[in-house]
Amino acid sequence: MRLSGKTALITGAARGLGRACALRFAEEGADLALFDLGGDIDEVPYPLGGADQLEHTAELCRKLGAAVVTATGDIRSQESVARAVEAATDRFGRIDVLVNNAGIVAPSGKDLHEVDEREWAVMLDVNLTGAWRMTKAVVPGMLPRRSGSIINVASTAGLVGYRRFAGYVASKHGLIGLTRAAALDYAPLKIRVNAICPGSVRDDPLVDGRMLVEIARALDVPVQEHEGTFAQGQPANELVEPDDIAAAALWLAGDDSRRVTGAVITVDGGYTVR
Amino acid sequence: MSNSAAGDLARMCHGIAVRLPRMPEMEEVRANLARAAGQVPALKSLRVWAEPVAFPAGDARSARRRATELRRAPAPEGPGLRAVFLEYADGPAELVIVAHRAVLTRDGLRGLAGVLTGSGGPAGEPPTPAGPPAPAQDAGARTPAWGLGDPARAGRHSAVALGPVRASGEELVRAASLVLSRYTGGEDDAVGVLRDDDAEAERACVGVVLSERRAGEEYEPCAAPYFPLTLWAERQEDGTLRGECRFDEDAVAPEIASRFARQVARAAERLAAGLPGAVEPDAEEIAELLAVGAGAPLAGHAPTTIHAAFEKVAAARPGAVAYTGEDATLDYAELDRRAERRARALRGLGAGPGELVGVCLERGADLVVTLLAVLKSGAAYLPMDVRHPRERLRATVEDAGARIVVAEDFPPAEGRTLVRPADLDAAPEAGHADGPQASPDDPAYVIFTSGSTGRPKGVVIPHRNVPALLAAVADDMRLGPEDVWTWFHSAAFDFSVWEIWGCLLTGGRLVMTPYWVSRAPHEFHRLLAEQRVTVLSQTPSAFAQLIHADAGTSADLAVRLVILGGEPLDVRILKEWFADHPPARCRVVNMFGITETTVHVTAQTVTAREMVERSRSVGGALPGWTVSVRDPEGRPVPFGAAGEIYVGGAGVALGYLNRPELTAERFVDDPYGGGRLYRSGDRGRLRPDGRLDHLGRLDNQVQLRGFRIELDEVRAALVEDPAVRAAAVVLNEEGDPRLDAYVVPAGPGPAVPAEIRGRLGRILPDYMIPGTITVLDDLPLTVNGKVDTARLPAPSAGAALVEEEPAPARGEGPAAAMLEIWRRAFGAPVSLDDDFFELGGNSLLAIRISAAMREAGLPQITLRDFYLNPTIRGLEAAMTTR
Ligand SMILES: NC(=O)c1ccc[n+]([C@@H]2O[C@H](COP(=O)([O-])OP(=O)(O)OC[C@H]3O[C@@H](n4cnc5c(N)ncnc54)[C@H](O)[C@@H]3O)[C@@H](O)[C@H]2O)c1
Repeated sequence: MRLSGKTALITGAARGLGRACALRFAEEGADLALFDLGGDIDEVPYPLGGADQLEHTAELCRKLGAAVVTATGDIRSQESVARAVEAATDRFGRIDVLVNNAGIVAPSGKDLHEVDEREWAVMLDVNLTGAWRMTKAVVPGMLPRRSGSIINVASTAGLVGYRRFAGYVASKHGLIGLTRAAALDYAPLKIRVNAICPGSVRDDPLVDGRMLVEIARALDVPVQEHEGTFAQGQPANELVEPDDIAAAALWLAGDDSRRVTGAVITVDGGYTVR
Repeated sequence: MSNSAAGDLARMCHGIAVRLPRMPEMEEVRANLARAAGQVPALKSLRVWAEPVAFPAGDARSARRRATELRRAPAPEGPGLRAVFLEYADGPAELVIVAHRAVLTRDGLRGLAGVLTGSGGPAGEPPTPAGPPAPAQDAGARTPAWGLGDPARAGRHSAVALGPVRASGEELVRAASLVLSRYTGGEDDAVGVLRDDDAEAERACVGVVLSERRAGEEYEPCAAPYFPLTLWAERQEDGTLRGECRFDEDAVAPEIASRFARQVARAAERLAAGLPGAVEPDAEEIAELLAVGAGAPLAGHAPTTIHAAFEKVAAARPGAVAYTGEDATLDYAELDRRAERRARALRGLGAGPGELVGVCLERGADLVVTLLAVLKSGAAYLPMDVRHPRERLRATVEDAGARIVVAEDFPPAEGRTLVRPADLDAAPEAGHADGPQASPDDPAYVIFTSGSTGRPKGVVIPHRNVPALLAAVADDMRLGPEDVWTWFHSAAFDFSVWEIWGCLLTGGRLVMTPYWVSRAPHEFHRLLAEQRVTVLSQTPSAFAQLIHADAGTSADLAVRLVILGGEPLDVRILKEWFADHPPARCRVVNMFGITETTVHVTAQTVTAREMVERSRSVGGALPGWTVSVRDPEGRPVPFGAAGEIYVGGAGVALGYLNRPELTAERFVDDPYGGGRLYRSGDRGRLRPDGRLDHLGRLDNQVQLRGFRIELDEVRAALVEDPAVRAAAVVLNEEGDPRLDAYVVPAGPGPAVPAEIRGRLGRILPDYMIPGTITVLDDLPLTVNGKVDTARLPAPSAGAALVEEEPAPARGEGPAAAMLEIWRRAFGAPVSLDDDFFELGGNSLLAIRISAAMREAGLPQITLRDFYLNPTIRGLEAAMTTR
């Protein structure tokens, strides 16, 4: 088991890619601190991860043998973040791996001059500043041990532009910038910081996936045919699976990648190299 | 807090798991806790967790979960305490409490469990946790020298089973101490002991953690190994001890840990049975140590004589060139024919089996022919170096009782027949005689070695040893007729036995290296290139100089095999060599050997890996040879432990000539059935894979102001310094005793003694820091190419810590610059007509001077120039007429 003895804190773990990572980590022997909103955000036009969904992830991980603690809170709040980190440290004594996965994809679907201040601010606050806040809270515990792996779940939107997604694209580009800067800050201290850029991921019902359908809504793509439509845009004519992202995260979390830091790893079926 | 301090936290924590029939109501638990916290405020900050486990209590996954919980240290900040209820799928539950030892004792853990579950502790009242522990101070947990741990695995630990052992805890501790003393040669037998209620224990490499087994609870005495090697034993209901040997992987190798645990268990049971001598290794251990130290059997090799083996090669390829030199070229048939003739003449003079013939000739065709002739005559040869003082030559012949000496020029001695090679060749056929042949068991040669103490002693090697040596390596090294060997070493040094017979018994071509070329790395390099030499044998000191010369030329070498021997190797010197000569094209083999065991004993192919690891391995024993490492009583010491290297098998000498007492002392019969062994006087350690680490001479330990110092250790630390290429360290007992160090700079940059000393201070204790550090261009070498400590100059006094300035290159003509270079080389003013050799110059000084001249931009001069024109005026003339 590649993560036995390690503890991982995963944000946005109620569903989607966060849940996929949690399950994969649990299979590999990690113990988990799972964090999610447990509510909604006014500006976001779709429901976010609920407390019951977070509990369900925890349940699935326990079935795999993991010790799990959960915490709900908004990554935009300094206090919630601190509480989550404290709960994890209280329970496990240490955090070896942090996955900054919580993120929102909308409000989007507008040209940027149509985006208002609040919409812009919430996008950056969750996707970019949220990762910074969580990293800032976790790193001090990693420093004395001279080890740790931080994984930022960015997006192909962190590498290329998408029409009508200015806020999302800007926040994910920012997250890659944050990854690179943090990698340098902490390289001497052996704390690694890397980013994963998922391409279009299929909404897998097993993880309650719904990101792709929300993107489709924002772009007015008919919801019944959205998977086929997005798949057609891919070089391999297929979508990425949540497990593909979890596999990349597993590698970055474990010791096999011990010399990898500042890397930006695309898991996009070749989308960004066309 | 450092990484190791973070590891310390887990080390200092213990925990219990208490089985409960079912999960208690958490509300009740919290109420119990609140009540107790009223009495013991420290419990207020305790947080209790309750978690379901998806598997039945008996499931392996539940056991793993429990073990993980028991070894999870509490958060570094906080009460130093954690409590978790686990509820198993089939109903029962478990309470796991982990605490820093300073916070709760084992009774405290139990008491707290009682409080939380409302069942009341054995003590009946809540435990009193001490304040949170101060961050642990690493009080210098030492890495055992014998542990063979892998530094790359720092921070990881592992375990092997211990027991059941039928003994008491005290007996286990005593046993651990006895076993430890076998690993440390009695230097250290301090074993730490940690009991359940101890907050901490004395730091030590090895420790015993003793636990009591209590019904209804599982106890984890330390979340990480408390000592680098921890023997954890729990007393069972049946009275036996059972547990684990846990160890830090950077300090101890699993192979060592498992054996250590077994030895302790066995020793403890012996103590319990009232048996003495628990330090004796048992038959099984000895059998393993001896088997691992033995080389493969020499299959299909029948004992033979050197000359018979030669004659076979000569008959097969009579026209192949056997010898190339400035003086002659001989094919195998011619060499055989000439030697045969001389052998008959020698027999006419009385040579034959049991006789010893002294040979003192300049290296050349005459010398090889004579050596072979002596062997053919049935006698053994006694090689002597023409450069040795005449007094020593005379003493050697007298000591050896050689009645015939073949030499061009030799001090007259009573009762000795002195004959020149030409006389032998000119002897009338009538004077020739047939005679009995030598058998493989008869002596082939006697080489005198001086050793560090006492008068030189003659080592008698029988014929069969040499063909056995070749049989041991020829396949592996693919030695054959395509090979071209250098004959670099004096016939009086047994490395030449390897060079001469190694070449001639495998059909190769032997290239004679004139003495002055062997002292001049650039010239020697040219010879290697011109003669397309493939097999090169060198001492590491000489090879370091050759590497230096090699780096400065573009001449292409054909060398495919480098054999290093005669001295310990600092693998670091090979860096430059590997850069230009990758191991795939040229194999470098480091061989440990001793004259008394026929040149070589072990072989280690050195690659970049060994270089990076700074390996001290000299490899495993050659096929037919054996090595073992033993204590002063001759008992094999465990793997990893340092002791004296003993060598047995096909290479062991017959003994010392006319020195029965010394022979009996150094050549011993192995009480463990390994046959006749030679006690080498070298320190080593055997690895579980059969490779031997060479750790220097046993007698290289000196006593300085009450401290025992291993000179090799100081030297090794110096050579680690990036500015240092080679180093020597000697004890200076004149006046106030101190260590004098000599260093050769690693690169073109300066080697600043003060800086080197500063860096040493970070590695070595104060008493091991040399009092002086003198920078030399090269270390003086003996005739045999080893560092010659006797010829080290007096330390540059006062200026010892000041760097030498580069030679000035003033534009006043070569003579002025040379005057300055000579002055600095000799440490005294010189004149234009002073004779280099009369001033006390030697080849090394000449090399140094020519290097300084090169640096000063003066024309190149060779060592030969020095010999021909030994004054500055003469040299200048030679330079200008060129
Ligand atoms: N699914 C895709 O196709 C895709 C593609 C590229 C990148 N991504 C990125 O992957 C990550 C996960 O996406 P997903 O597909 O699983 O989406 P998702 O919406 O299913 O899951 C995201 C989770 O983050 C949580 N979250 C959002 N804002 C939060 C906040 N302020 N505080 C705490 N939690 C919050 C949500 O509650 C939700 O559970 C996101 O960062 C997303 O940008 C997804």
